[in-house]
Amino acid sequence: MRTFRAVFLRELFAFFVTPLAWVLVTVFLLVQGMHFYLLVSFFADQAQVSSDQTPVQAFFGNTVLLYIVLFLLIPPITMRLFAEERRSGTIETLMTAPVSTTGVVLAKYASALVVYAFLWAPTLLYIVILRRTGDVDWHIVGSSYLGVFLVGAGYLSLGLLMSAMTKSQFLALVLTAMVILTLFILGVGEFITREGTLIHDVCSHVSVWAQMNDFASGVVDSRRVVFDCTLIVLPLFLTVRVVDAWRWG
Amino acid sequence: MISVQHLTKRYGSHVAVDDLSFEVAKGDVVGFLGPNGAGKSTTLRILAGFLGMTAGTVTIDGKDIEEESRLAKERIGYMPEAVPLYPEMRVGEYLAFRADLKGVSRSNRSKRVGIAMEKAKVGDREMTLIGNLSKGYRQRVGLADALVADPPLLILDEPTSGLDPNQIREVRDVIKGLGSDHTVLLSTHILSEVESSCDRVIVIARGKLVAEGTTDAIKNLQRSPGLEVRVRGSGKAAASAIEGILGVAKVETTTEGELAIVKLRWSKKATETDEASEQITAALVNAGLGVRSITPISSSLEEVFAQLTEPSHEDADG
Repeated sequence: MRTFRAVFLRELFAFFVTPLAWVLVTVFLLVQGMHFYLLVSFFADQAQVSSDQTPVQAFFGNTVLLYIVLFLLIPPITMRLFAEERRSGTIETLMTAPVSTTGVVLAKYASALVVYAFLWAPTLLYIVILRRTGDVDWHIVGSSYLGVFLVGAGYLSLGLLMSAMTKSQFLALVLTAMVILTLFILGVGEFITREGTLIHDVCSHVSVWAQMNDFASGVVDSRRVVFDCTLIVLPLFLTVRVVDAWRWG
Repeated sequence: MISVQHLTKRYGSHVAVDDLSFEVAKGDVVGFLGPNGAGKSTTLRILAGFLGMTAGTVTIDGKDIEEESRLAKERIGYMPEAVPLYPEMRVGEYLAFRADLKGVSRSNRSKRVGIAMEKAKVGDREMTLIGNLSKGYRQRVGLADALVADPPLLILDEPTSGLDPNQIREVRDVIKGLGSDHTVLLSTHILSEVESSCDRVIVIARGKLVAEGTTDAIKNLQRSPGLEVRVRGSGKAAASAIEGILGVAKVETTTEGELAIVKLRWSKKATETDEASEQITAALVNAGLGVRSITPISSSLEEVFAQLTEPSHEDADG
């Protein structure tokens, strides 16, 4: 617990004292702001709006923009976490302190999660803006943010693992981006494979697209949650093993 | 305080540390000496719990570094060779973080950080970004980090490497001052460093223990291994004049124009080499040879190791 708190606070400090977090926030909010503006003006031009298609649903589901944002956002958050410690050698002072590997890994992961949540937090203002002009279904808002959080948490976990596997931040960035892209492409497979085949089932299970559509229409499917949690826990477990394995390198 | 039994570390087929055993008693300041690539850093990294070992056991204050690694690590203040630090933090922030990580309670933290900064003489840089510090200050911040939780054992890997002579003297003074409160194991490849700050010395070469003893005993190893004498005259005459003088083990002669160059080596048991040098000069002069110069052959640590590890010299001593 002591390990966790100390490392967690230091990681947050490192994120926000360097320009990285602020650059990410700026780029993210610019893209999301534009996205939101286009959506709202599109809906404003519609004479009739159906009840199952609202700006909130369109913002989180049915759009490719969300994945581009995740694809660009997650790798820079996680690339530094272990790769930089190994490159600069600070991993040696860190691991020779009386710490537990699990504590270090979880603390670094938690700091990345907080940064991720910090990036999304200002988008709650969009909901407030929508609320001023009409009704907002809070269930859908809740499930949408849950979906974004779960998907992001899984990707961050993968990014942490990639960062632990290399000494180069850049390589960690590329590897993470490739893994996220691979998962996305697998998901796209849902639309090009024949229904009823095994590969179709696998693809639709992995598909972030389908998942966000579900979550954005208020459907929290436990299969999706289990998949996301697997994507969080498994890489974290592997990261602990990888960090322990350096001792033998 | 430290007990190392049959420690072996292999990287693939390369053996970095080979069946090394030694003990360090509480309160000792021990120098860990060896040429570059002897396995010093590897050994210290294993002692600090950073690297795993291939075979053997290491206990720190009775705690096994593998089995009870957390308890063992709590007793160690470790300063790695390159002194890696976080450049984006200020000195005070960094030390407070390290104190927190090492379990110094919140109420005690600022006091401990203050003491460590004072001992390592970095108090005047508390608010400086680590990235802007000079090499000498970085080294001392590393030392302050090792001291911050007041551990009974300090493991310092080449604490003076890369410093200028003034800084080396300062760091040495700091280390000397630590000996009264801590057990210290410091590695170096400079003999004089050990001489000035350590009570005991452990010498390793090629991953093996080659000598262990008090600093005085090692000082003996440091003396010149022989003399180079340039004389006008025949080498043969010079060699026969020198041979038989107490302490001379081996004589080699070469000629260079009218000069003969005589290289002689002291036997391992010879202690009074100054006296023997005088006798040699006298003998050469008496033999009618013109002595142009007498130079002690300089002894590098590598040569000391060569002497220590070559069994043939033992035989030559007779």
